[in-house]
Amino acid sequence: MIMLEIKGLNVAYDKVQVLWDVSFNINEGEIVTLLGSNGAGKSTTVKTIQGLLKSRSGSIRFMDKSIGGLPAYKVVAAGISLVPEGREIFPKMSVLENLILGAYVPRARAKDLRDESLDWVFKLFPKLEERKKQLAGTMSGGEQQMLAIARALMSKPKLLMLDEPSLGLAPVLVLQVFDIIKKLNEEGVTILLVEQNVHHALGLSDRAYVLEKGRTILEGKGFELLSDKYVKEAYLGM
Amino acid sequence: MDLSVLLQILVWGLYAGCIYILLAIGLNLIFGVMKVVNFAHGELLMLGAYAAFWIYTLSGINPYLIIALAMILLGIIGVFIERLCFRPIMGTGKLNEIFLSLGLIYLFQNLAALLWTTGSRSIHSPYSDVSVSIGSIRLPLDYIIIIVFTILFLIAFQLFMKRTTLGRAMRATSQNREAAALMGIHVERMDMLSFALGSALAAAAGSLWLISGQIANPYMGSIPAIKAFAVIIIGGLGSIPGAIVAGLTLGIAENVLPLFIQSFVGLFGVSMSFTAWKDTIAFFILIIVLVIRPTGIFGEKGE
Repeated sequence: MIMLEIKGLNVAYDKVQVLWDVSFNINEGEIVTLLGSNGAGKSTTVKTIQGLLKSRSGSIRFMDKSIGGLPAYKVVAAGISLVPEGREIFPKMSVLENLILGAYVPRARAKDLRDESLDWVFKLFPKLEERKKQLAGTMSGGEQQMLAIARALMSKPKLLMLDEPSLGLAPVLVLQVFDIIKKLNEEGVTILLVEQNVHHALGLSDRAYVLEKGRTILEGKGFELLSDKYVKEAYLGM
Repeated sequence: MDLSVLLQILVWGLYAGCIYILLAIGLNLIFGVMKVVNFAHGELLMLGAYAAFWIYTLSGINPYLIIALAMILLGIIGVFIERLCFRPIMGTGKLNEIFLSLGLIYLFQNLAALLWTTGSRSIHSPYSDVSVSIGSIRLPLDYIIIIVFTILFLIAFQLFMKRTTLGRAMRATSQNREAAALMGIHVERMDMLSFALGSALAAAAGSLWLISGQIANPYMGSIPAIKAFAVIIIGGLGSIPGAIVAGLTLGIAENVLPLFIQSFVGLFGVSMSFTAWKDTIAFFILIIVLVIRPTGIFGEKGE
């Protein structure tokens, strides 16, 4: 069943068009990766889906409802959560307060539901429970990334979008992040991953789309793309 | 100088400080959430004072009970100002916001003059003749009530910001607007709320000012507003503890220092009053703080 369907999406910043007729879809339960070099329009795509940016034309449908043009807070309420590039945690709040804010949407806000979600994310990230009183801004980059993911999970999203979650992390932590993504997917969360770490991302994904200069130029199963001639040349340096 | 006189002036300073703190916290809140400097904040204090004046004159109930009504009224006016004036120009550049809020100063001052004339208004607190004796000093009861009121407001405000979902959402918006939107927070609504709350705090300052025996006129807001800006810069932009410390320091300093200087020059046989220098002292302190610590006493980014 198609969960998210993007058709003919055109997005521009002022007069500079960044996305050209981008179309793709994500089925329920999948891990889908958006590949592309810097400036290809990956972040723009997820931000537009989330409602942080407005599209010029095209349709975005989520669970059979149009969500194109809705403000971000309504998209979150509909069940899509974004872990933004650069983490964007609330630095002057404790880890726990960051997580509580993650459960702000009405559907997840009730105290008992929130405690349930807290148990869930603390099980996934035991370190966050140890650090729950610490100010988020004083944690290391890796811990902040874990917090950003955990915070996005607090709204119990049906679709989780992660924008370059491995960026700037040590190799060990990168593996940890990908492990978590896999685990989340097994627990039923559908995932849209934006990555430059092509090898890991494709190994994990059911399907992937390649964006270049704002257009979708390739689509395929994860492992197929790994051996695709173009992907090899452009992203794996082979 | 007599110790009891000094203590009395100290309390007077505390009382003046309370007014500055209430104004400064509202300004800080609006700046934190919307990143807009509301230069017309003093005019909200003025409108708050007039609101208290008219509610009192028309109803005659205890003026202290009127404060809540004046706050609600100004909160509603704040919502309108945010929706009609600031929201349409948000993101179009800082200069537009500055000129808009400067324009609002003259709009409100002239509107008040037109509606209620430029004459001074005052009301009579039922406790204006009551004073409390502590040892050898006598303190007006009104000053003590105002200090207690301010403390209660500050505690309630702090609890609201730290403990409630809405307060947390406002803090999140001021720390990172985009991340707040990603949490599902309706950030434009937080703008509206911060303006309403800031206006209500200004109304509290204005009505307390009036009840304590000060006069209201259309131009009464300018000086307290400038002092509140000084308080924010001295305390550190966005810092609530900073605003409290700076507000009290300023209130006390500008009342105590002129007397000190007077008795100091008195030692050299010069008899001269320095009370007219009161308003200068705020800016003298401001300049010293800016030279030594440009970010303010508690200054850093965030909240």
